Amino acid sequence: MFYNKDFKTRLKIAKSKLKKNFDTEEEKRGSYMGFAFKLGTDLVAAVAVGTIIGFILDSWFGTKPWLIIIFFFLGAIAGILNVIRTANRMQEKD
Amino acid sequence: MATNPMHQFTVHRMGPEIKIANIDLSFTNASLFMAISAFSIFIFLFLGTKEKKLIPGKLQLISEMFYNFVAKMISDTAGSKAKPYFPFIFSLFMFILFCNMIGMLPYSFTVTSHIIVTLVLAIFIFVAVTIIGFMKHGIGYLKLFVPSGVPALLLPLITVIEIISYLSRPVSLSVRLFANMMAGHTMLKVFGGFVISLGLLGGWLPLGFSVALTGLEILVAFLQAYVFAILTCIYLNDALNLHH
Repeated sequence: MFYNKDFKTRLKIAKSKLKKNFDTEEEKRGSYMGFAFKLGTDLVAAVAVGTIIGFILDSWFGTKPWLIIIFFFLGAIAGILNVIRTANRMQEKD
Repeated sequence: MATNPMHQFTVHRMGPEIKIANIDLSFTNASLFMAISAFSIFIFLFLGTKEKKLIPGKLQLISEMFYNFVAKMISDTAGSKAKPYFPFIFSLFMFILFCNMIGMLPYSFTVTSHIIVTLVLAIFIFVAVTIIGFMKHGIGYLKLFVPSGVPALLLPLITVIEIISYLSRPVSLSVRLFANMMAGHTMLKVFGGFVISLGLLGGWLPLGFSVALTGLEILVAFLQAYVFAILTCIYLNDALNLHH
């Protein structure tokens, strides 16, 4: 019984120690690197999607060059918004 | 042909041609390596969890590490509400990780270097997350596209931008994994080709680069699987806990 209790307190101490240094520098660097990979493609993907939407809408309504131009810029804005959101999330983590 | 750096990505049929309603369903080298990845995950986890010791052996330790890693990732990014989706995210992470890692072996084929594979995974996640969002919040899920505190004049513009941003998710998710894997493997092959063409005199420099790149590629293989899984968690988080 006594041994059992001893083991439980030791387990508790070990677990609290584990929690303290859970986020090591290495781990943090890894997750930041992951986010850095995210930033580049997010910016480009939104521009591509915006342009494709503009192209499709243009061929639907027959307003050839106009919607693709507008949606290209909207896509660029969406891409920048994506990047800002990711950056905010990275700061929150810190 | 052997020195062509893109030759490693060709998909070719293995065995008989199977055609059902004009759709080619033949067994290819891509399907073979997908099956190998899935099978090796199964073997690895089966052996790792067979003997449940208090003091774990090597295999048990590694499989428990993977479990902890994914469990922590989910609870950190998506909270306790995302617990039921653990099996899905764990299998997704393991599948991409094993596909990437098996692709690093010589003479193997990298399944994730084909955009169709990553796009299907990403579109599946995109559709699933959207359905989960609508199931949890009903029509209120559309609030995701209408941020609060925006002047009424700007609202239509912001909504369109938000929709583009939402639709860009599967594209960026799939292109990132595919582009990283394809670029890395092409680069490895190009430097490998330099070693042969420069011969015994000048070949040592690209050989050194090749060794360094292999290390980098193993890091990228792990990191891309991690990014894919953590972004799935983030999208799940958006769907489960609606706040903007």
